Amino acid sequence: MSDIVTIKGLKYGLQLTFAKGASFDDVQANLLDKLQSGNGFFMRGTTVFVPKGYFAEEQNEALRRMFHRHGMLFSTELKRPNLAPPSRDNSSKASAQKFKESVEEAQKMMVINRTVRGGQEVKANCSVLICGNVNPGAQVIAGGSIDIRGTCRGFVHAGAFGDKTACVVADRLMPAQIRIADLIARAPDEDIKTNQAERAMIKDNMIIFEPVAR
Amino acid sequence: MSKILVITSGKGGVGKTTTTANIGVGLAMRGNKVALIDTDTGLRNLDLLLGLENRILYDLVDVTSGRVAYKKALVRHKKYENLYLLPTSQVKDKSAVNPEQLVTLCDEMKKEFDFIIIDCPAGIEQGFKTAIAAADTAIVVTMPEISAVRDADKIIGELGRADKENVKLIVNRIRPQMVEKGDMLDMGDIDEILSVVCIGQVPDDENVVVATNRGEPVITMSNSTAGQAYKNIVARLCGENVPFLKPQKEGFFARLKKLFGLL
Repeated sequence: MSDIVTIKGLKYGLQLTFAKGASFDDVQANLLDKLQSGNGFFMRGTTVFVPKGYFAEEQNEALRRMFHRHGMLFSTELKRPNLAPPSRDNSSKASAQKFKESVEEAQKMMVINRTVRGGQEVKANCSVLICGNVNPGAQVIAGGSIDIRGTCRGFVHAGAFGDKTACVVADRLMPAQIRIADLIARAPDEDIKTNQAERAMIKDNMIIFEPVAR
Repeated sequence: MSKILVITSGKGGVGKTTTTANIGVGLAMRGNKVALIDTDTGLRNLDLLLGLENRILYDLVDVTSGRVAYKKALVRHKKYENLYLLPTSQVKDKSAVNPEQLVTLCDEMKKEFDFIIIDCPAGIEQGFKTAIAAADTAIVVTMPEISAVRDADKIIGELGRADKENVKLIVNRIRPQMVEKGDMLDMGDIDEILSVVCIGQVPDDENVVVATNRGEPVITMSNSTAGQAYKNIVARLCGENVPFLKPQKEGFFARLKKLFGLL
């Protein structure tokens, strides 16, 4: 399913290429799926390029409307869109850059040497190490894995660009909600206290918790 | 060295103003020269708690806008001669005072006073930003309740963003019976989430309501547990090492009395 549309980062935006023989309906459904997954990859203001003449004019029009609804620009010509204001250009450039570097970025790590409190947000393309707690109401979103040297009670999302091998480790792992790649799990309604370090990861397409020694 | 404290909480109704009044009176009783500044413009209450409403001539907005010198706006407490209140306006709103003006004012007042205590409005908007601007120490007031603790957490984060690293905590309105039964957050739970130095645990006490209505802070009542807790807070602020009050359990006779009272 995910191979129907391939996305490639360019200087000015994202280039879409399509699998041979994929019908327009398949392509549209697949793109909508990706857009609605809300993983933060499709930033507002990014320009999406589709090769000219690949689809009929009315089909292009349908795609254009779909991307516009999600705050993105659509183009069939591979050039910097001169309609967009400068700030949008920056963000589309940035997102293309992000895509190119995402692989090497994932190897890097960001270190946060404090407690992330309610209402605060940590976002990184790479992995994140937090020396402190993640309090209720806080958000940590990472392209790679998340390691918390403390108690995690907030919202954590590892592998935000779709990396299913990402994991979340914490001394006490009791997040309100945990996401890894495109999977979501939430805390049980009753309070559960853990006293052991745990790791959350994907196994058999499910998020599982397992104890780890630290 | 004079100190500038701000009393803040995020959530409303947890006892910021009550705490301000009590700490102010407590410090003044110890012989310090204290100024209380109400920054809750439009919803001022601190004057009521101190019983000084009818003595207000000028307010904070008159001072910051340069109409009068701050000394003219200060209201001296009727009983404690070295306690002064700088009330705010009840007709203007929070936009009438900006952070720079308050910093300038506090710099000037610092020369005269040992302690300047700023009563912060609820919320994290302009009023809050103004109130914290001048402070060197922030006292966050919370209650053993998840919404109050959550808001306190947010406020501590905001204080960190404003480079206010000297943050202390007061937990107000604790009900020992409920804590014991596990119906209320206990100090351990609160400490674990907020992880800042706690300088006070104030029990829930009916005398606070009585004191508020009379315009005499509860710290002046000798038989009140909340008053005693506030005295301890003041001592800790002055650098003394005082142990926390033991939670008072309702004794057998007290319960018996209550039972007969009900019948």
